[in-house]
Amino acid sequence: MPAAAIEFQNVTKVYRRMFREEQVTALSCVSFEAGAGEVCAFLGPNGAGKTTAIGLLMGFHFADSGEIRVLGCAPGDVRAKQQIGFLPENFAFYKYLTAPKLLRFHLALAGSWSAEAAARIPELLAKVRLHGYEEMKIGRYSRGMVQRLGLAQAFLGSPRLLILDEPTSGLDPAGRKEILGLLLALKAEGKTVFLSSHILPEVEQICDRIVIIDRGRLLRAGRLQEMLATGDRVEVVADRITEEIEQAAAASGAVVERGPNGVRIVLDAARKREMVEALWNAGCDVVSINPVKSSLEEVFLKVVEHREGDA
Amino acid sequence: MKVRVIALNTFAGFLRNKLIILFVAIFLCILLLFMTPLLMMKAMSGQTAGQTESPVLTLVGALMSMISGFGSLLAAWSAADTVADEMKSGTILAVLARPVRRWEFLLGKYLGVQLLMAVYVLFTFGFSYLLAWIGGEHIQTTPWVLIVYPLVRYAICSAIAMFLVTMMHPVMAFGIVLVTAILALMVQPGLRAPAFLPGLLKTVVYTLLPSTALLSESRFLTITQASLQKITWDVHAITLTYGLDYALIWFLLAVWSFRRRSLARD
Repeated sequence: MPAAAIEFQNVTKVYRRMFREEQVTALSCVSFEAGAGEVCAFLGPNGAGKTTAIGLLMGFHFADSGEIRVLGCAPGDVRAKQQIGFLPENFAFYKYLTAPKLLRFHLALAGSWSAEAAARIPELLAKVRLHGYEEMKIGRYSRGMVQRLGLAQAFLGSPRLLILDEPTSGLDPAGRKEILGLLLALKAEGKTVFLSSHILPEVEQICDRIVIIDRGRLLRAGRLQEMLATGDRVEVVADRITEEIEQAAAASGAVVERGPNGVRIVLDAARKREMVEALWNAGCDVVSINPVKSSLEEVFLKVVEHREGDA
Repeated sequence: MKVRVIALNTFAGFLRNKLIILFVAIFLCILLLFMTPLLMMKAMSGQTAGQTESPVLTLVGALMSMISGFGSLLAAWSAADTVADEMKSGTILAVLARPVRRWEFLLGKYLGVQLLMAVYVLFTFGFSYLLAWIGGEHIQTTPWVLIVYPLVRYAICSAIAMFLVTMMHPVMAFGIVLVTAILALMVQPGLRAPAFLPGLLKTVVYTLLPSTALLSESRFLTITQASLQKITWDVHAITLTYGLDYALIWFLLAVWSFRRRSLARD
């Protein structure tokens, strides 16, 4: 894995109420890493602790134990924050400002205000489809427009690391597609993106690494490709299949599908060698052998349901 | 740069804050109501200067006390509200995600409040002269006293409110500042302390609470033809340093308290 941009080591966060016994464990001994240049998705059902973890990462809250490093610095360190673009969940704004004024305000806060940087604001607004709304007060924006503006402020100053909490929330399908395109472009530029989202098919399209948490506990963390490969089923594609092999395969629980380019046989990984030898012996040509991949949604549901079963 | 933009943005927010606009509007209505008898007296040209002097001085004195009291309330409320509103709405998250330290954020907010109070003081400064002119009197004091002393007093109120709001609801913070200000007035030397306050406790409370009377510009203000009180520069310097020191302590306490404050939306 490339050098870690984000490191969580045994992080625990407990919310306590003043003068009350009750306490809620938001995160319990969570450890994971996100490498530099990777797109890492942070997944979990509602109330899993994702926003708390992102808050810890940004220095908005403080962990009870464990260690967090962001770009090699402690959370909240201004040296790290200089290189971070952040979009909070339900991005809030100063309603009386216009989009260019808000972005100029953020440029000044980032300490990177210059005439040249300010000149790039219209370009950035066009990128998130907010051109033509420069004179409108943000208070009059729709939910989707506010989200787009939030993304524009996160992209401001070309940060090395983007931390995005629900970046496509409130956007229509076309808007979501555009944002995914932007994230892919950032990935191509070598930026690190750490995002939380509930829209798993979209996450699957852009992510390199997945971290799944639920009820404050880490369930799975690893590379997307490794996670999607289930390991227990394989797909053998051959140019043709004989009647006897097909019957034997069906009897052993394999699924045979005929297509225009050949025959696809999905079977247990343990029977892979046996099937390939049978096909070769019968004079058939084996075109490919691949592990069967699940969708991210299937993996996520399986992991979370398994955890619920344990609980 | 960061502190300055936060301060200016805070000030811009105040100018659009409905509660503060309502606060100022009510205050202006009361001022205008009070001005009516002064204008009437001015219109009654038959009266001699001696006949009008006493009621005019009473009215002008009452108005100036009111302006001063309103200023303290405005300073406390605006300081408590501006920090609490940022946390409640979540706008603070985007700001503190930038390379801004927490103390810089708080200092920007505090300076934004002081900017608002400077505008308020300049307005009341002009208004005081207007009232005296309407009443046919003359304010005999050095003008800077009318500007600097209230500013220092408001700086204390806002610093206390800012410290309290880092730990509690803004209404509660405002209430505590209000009670503190009243208590500070009650324990002033020369005034009869309330029966429930023993002498020793009164001294302790007087020492701990900000002395608003000491920082009152009315100590140096004479709205008569009489001669000015002679106040030397060292007295001014000591008094103002006391006030600024008091404000600084509370502001530093606010920074200390805010340092580890969780920024969850309340």
